[in-house]
Amino acid sequence: MSEREEVAPPVAAVRELALEGEAAVGTPVAIPPRTVAERTRRVVLFSFMIVVALLYLVPFVYTVATSLKTQAEAAAGFDLWPDRASLSAYREIWSREDLSFVTFFKNSLILATSITVITLFLATLGGYAFARLRFPLREPLFLLVLGTLMIPDQLRLVPVYLMMVDFPITGWNLTQTLHGYVFFGSSIALATSLFLMRQYFLTIPKDYEEAAKLDGAGYFKTYWRIMLPLAAPAVAAVAILTFQGIWNEFFWANLLLTGDNSNYTVQMGLVQFRFQYQTLWPQLMAATTIAIIPVLVVYVFFQRYFVAGVAAAGVKG
Amino acid sequence: MAVQAGRARRLPSLGGERLREAGVGYAFVLIPLGVFVLLQLYPMAYAFYVSAHEWGGIEGNLGYVGLDNYRELRHDEAFWTWPPARATALWNTVYYALLVVPLQMTLGLTLALLVNQAIRGRTFFRSAYYFPALVSSAAASAIALYLLSADGLVNAVISAILGRDFTHPWFGDADTALESIIVLDAWTTSGTMMLFYLAALQSVPVDVYEAAAIDKAGTWRTFWKITFPLLKPAHFFVAVVSVIGALKFFDQAFIISTGSGGPAGSTMTAVLYVYTVTIKEFNYGYGATVGVVLFLIIFTITLAQRLLFGRSEIVY
Repeated sequence: MSEREEVAPPVAAVRELALEGEAAVGTPVAIPPRTVAERTRRVVLFSFMIVVALLYLVPFVYTVATSLKTQAEAAAGFDLWPDRASLSAYREIWSREDLSFVTFFKNSLILATSITVITLFLATLGGYAFARLRFPLREPLFLLVLGTLMIPDQLRLVPVYLMMVDFPITGWNLTQTLHGYVFFGSSIALATSLFLMRQYFLTIPKDYEEAAKLDGAGYFKTYWRIMLPLAAPAVAAVAILTFQGIWNEFFWANLLLTGDNSNYTVQMGLVQFRFQYQTLWPQLMAATTIAIIPVLVVYVFFQRYFVAGVAAAGVKG
Repeated sequence: MAVQAGRARRLPSLGGERLREAGVGYAFVLIPLGVFVLLQLYPMAYAFYVSAHEWGGIEGNLGYVGLDNYRELRHDEAFWTWPPARATALWNTVYYALLVVPLQMTLGLTLALLVNQAIRGRTFFRSAYYFPALVSSAAASAIALYLLSADGLVNAVISAILGRDFTHPWFGDADTALESIIVLDAWTTSGTMMLFYLAALQSVPVDVYEAAAIDKAGTWRTFWKITFPLLKPAHFFVAVVSVIGALKFFDQAFIISTGSGGPAGSTMTAVLYVYTVTIKEFNYGYGATVGVVLFLIIFTITLAQRLLFGRSEIVY
């Protein structure tokens, strides 16, 4: 497929990403409303948008509020805010004997960080090669990478499980271990990340590399010192999306890590807590809040990369 | 085709330079390709292999059985029935997809149109609408379980409106469990669909709208006659993403039903069925078979969508 054919939502977003500065997905300039009818229309529309925003956000406010209540208060009624906010629910789940959220939090952090670093390195290296270096079979190999996106998880469930329990040749059991999950998890966001990086590298003018070449820089140095810094917005988008994707990931974590409590992720801990303690709402909502906060923080700080990145790569489980 | 190590000595000739570039190219894509082959392509082939064997969790591979597993699946009433009936894994999934896909697309497009206007607080609205999409399936499920429990907030609001006690257990009743999950998923995925549509709306050239304005076309007319048709690639893209997502739907059903697919099989999805057969019943051969059949179904649907909507410019 040629570059010209790829004018579509994902690629448009990559270009937006390339245009640093203004918010990744921009909008037309504001035109002041003229007539009374137009004004009324806008007020109605604005009110409608507020109502929808409330519908989208109130559940989260309520979640946090409940996590700050005591068991008795949560059972008693539906105050949107607790009478006396307390962190007792958090304290209870943070270091329980059976389900210790401090351990889960640490595990999730380790897994999400290491998989993000691995994905970043492989995706930028591969993306650069597919975008810029000429080698035989480049296009078919790239199509192969995209083709792996068509392989659904349900098809891989059994073979991946069998493989991870008894790894070919070595006979390792890679289930119930963090390094096993890191190994497998590195494949989860790789194809979309590599695609996104390649698209981005294609938008960078060739002059930079030619200048580097004249200076006698080799390919790796060109990639590391020239291309990578130039691709910073895309690198940020890939990093953030991968981190969020792995932090939130449940399907494979549940399949590969179930068994040994001390290796659970926050998401698994949250689910186990619900399975075992059904309606301890303040604690469950505290666990939910803990599961949400890191992605919320990342989102608040790196929103614009998020928006363009999601639109560009379509990474979201 | 010559493959050469990345650290080759620099050669002065043009041919040598080409060779070197190719060598470096292969070296750079080697590990990613290795990962894809090992963790994507090999498992895919392996799934077909396992599905042709009697393969148990304790006994291991008990030998080649040809298409026996597939024949068994044809008469498996937990997987599907003819005529279609609810509470079977396949039809639950189809029902889910039929409801959730249009819902996600409509919501996504509506939200995108709303936040694409030049309106005060645009950034806030975008963030607000996208926020549920940010949250993990586990967290979203926990929140839904809380809000929709028999004495939860949703029922409290309904009680207040009706003026009488309303304590319907949304996830505890086979008639509303899957439907409640559909609403939950529409809520959490609409933000992502909004971003896809928003990116597409941004790439509609402004002069198209200017032309419409000169022709004095109304907002509604402009939308249906111009914007909507121009969004065709986006519709295709969103539809594909949405359908594929619906067919691999697992997390929420697993979490909300405590892994059982209940009540009364109402939330047993196709993937949950693969999981149950494999992990709980240790029937690997059969689990792989269900996986292969699902893959073939998804593949056919994607192909059909592609043929129906014409060749799309979108890569995947």
